[in-house]
Amino acid sequence: MIQHYLILSIILFCLGILGVISRRNVFTVFMSIELMLNAANLAFITFSRLHLSMDGQVLALLVMAVAAAEAALALAVVILLHKHKGNLDTNVFSLLKG
Amino acid sequence: MHDFLSILPLLIIVGGAILLMLLSAFEKVQVEIASFISMAFFAAAFFVQLLVGCGPETVVFAKIFNGMLVTSNFTMVGGLIILGCGFFTAMSAHSYFKVNLFCTLEFYCMMMFAACGMLLLTMSQELISAFIALEIMSLSIYILVGYDRANVTATEAILKYLMLGAFAGAFFTMGTALIYGGTGTTKFAGIATMISATPAAHPFLIAGSFFIFAALLFKVAAFPFHAWVIDVYDGASTPVTGFMATALKTAVFVVFANFLALSAGMHSSWITFLFWVSVLTMFGGNLVAIGQSSLKRMLAASGIVHSGYLLIALVAISTDHFTGSVIGYYLAAYAVGTLGIFAALSYLGGKDEKRGTFDDFKGLAQVRPYSAAAITVFLLSMAGIPPTAGFMGKFYIITSAISAGQTALAVLGVISSILSMWYYLRLVINMYFYEAEDSFEIAGSPLATAGTFVLVVCVFAIGLYPIII
Repeated sequence: MIQHYLILSIILFCLGILGVISRRNVFTVFMSIELMLNAANLAFITFSRLHLSMDGQVLALLVMAVAAAEAALALAVVILLHKHKGNLDTNVFSLLKG
Repeated sequence: MHDFLSILPLLIIVGGAILLMLLSAFEKVQVEIASFISMAFFAAAFFVQLLVGCGPETVVFAKIFNGMLVTSNFTMVGGLIILGCGFFTAMSAHSYFKVNLFCTLEFYCMMMFAACGMLLLTMSQELISAFIALEIMSLSIYILVGYDRANVTATEAILKYLMLGAFAGAFFTMGTALIYGGTGTTKFAGIATMISATPAAHPFLIAGSFFIFAALLFKVAAFPFHAWVIDVYDGASTPVTGFMATALKTAVFVVFANFLALSAGMHSSWITFLFWVSVLTMFGGNLVAIGQSSLKRMLAASGIVHSGYLLIALVAISTDHFTGSVIGYYLAAYAVGTLGIFAALSYLGGKDEKRGTFDDFKGLAQVRPYSAAAITVFLLSMAGIPPTAGFMGKFYIITSAISAGQTALAVLGVISSILSMWYYLRLVINMYFYEAEDSFEIAGSPLATAGTFVLVVCVFAIGLYPIII
């Protein structure tokens, strides 16, 4: 039973990686990163159940707090980018090269 | 009492950061005052750290923090480097923001929060507290990189850094989760007992450590994950670049070494992996650096090469009696050289960083001989020429690699160091053997200039320190 949760967590993590690599929209990329963090949370809780200790649950809560802080900054950056270019496609941002 | 004294520098920095955050609500407080306040707090924390010392490894507040924070001589050296970097960055930022007018009080506040995350990172001996410290540091640094909101280049730099940094952070969390699954704990001490108890490594443990190494290698810009560093350093403003290149690298390498040294089993199973990463980092960084025409991009690429040397030191650490002295010394030597050159660029760069390429610095020695001499000292230190700090740092790393039986790595390190002369000496030649086309007028305050010359003294002081002692 436990391994089903683990497999789900790994699938979510891989979907997140796939999203970061293949999507071109800044928003979708950030959402994929959040998906990866949540996959890690699910893994924490699963292992917490497996080891019969509450540590993993606490760790998952801490990761959630950090993810929220990161999302706040990411949204601010998205707004800033939209102000500059009026577009959220990552291909538009190509000033730094060489 | 000793526990309290060990984390007193951290508390001073946190107090200073919160004070600045509150002060920024008042319109009357000026940006210059904020830079002096942050300098004062960094200096106070530095001297407290120096006076308190650390002695052997002590678990700080074992009951409250459940053994998450550990201080030792190694973390003390890391803390001193970080606090010194903060002090000199505040100095060069003071001059930089006289001509580039986009600074507000929160700049110095974010810088102190970043320093507080770095100090926590050096002390943390538990994966989740390391993750939180890493994020405190990274989130502040992201904001510093994109501080110039009107500048499209800076915005692009923050986008790249934030996307890739958060991606690496997700790997770090997943790695922590897997290690927790494999060993049932996230504390370094617990993981070490688990590894020594079971000879065959758990697959979760291997996968988890791999993810954590990937995230840490990303943060120090080692070979497969180095592409972001050049763009981000280029887009950030000069003092911030200096801060990122030195303090951030110090903090991450300290936690990297602590993690790797937690048990002999951990270190020996990753030694081949780290060997190849360090070789590719050194030569990849050199290749990138040779092709650059912008100074900041060249320095970013040379930072990759220095990460390679530090990885040699990581390969060569002995886990039985780990002190980290070689890594600490090299980090100090690298930090003074790099900070010095970024301090010099802060006051020589001019408005909107108009002087930024090799060609812009042609003939600097005729107009500003002292500045040119200072930059030359820093470059020679980074290239590793005696009697500078950089030479002694490289010397210790190479000898430690040889005594650990890694002769091939030592030889490759020397070859890479010779290759790196190419781009360091190119700037020296540009400064000394051309006619001056620019008048190199300097507006603003003399603080960055003063900081540069103090750092020149530091280069020699750190270089000669082991000989005198």
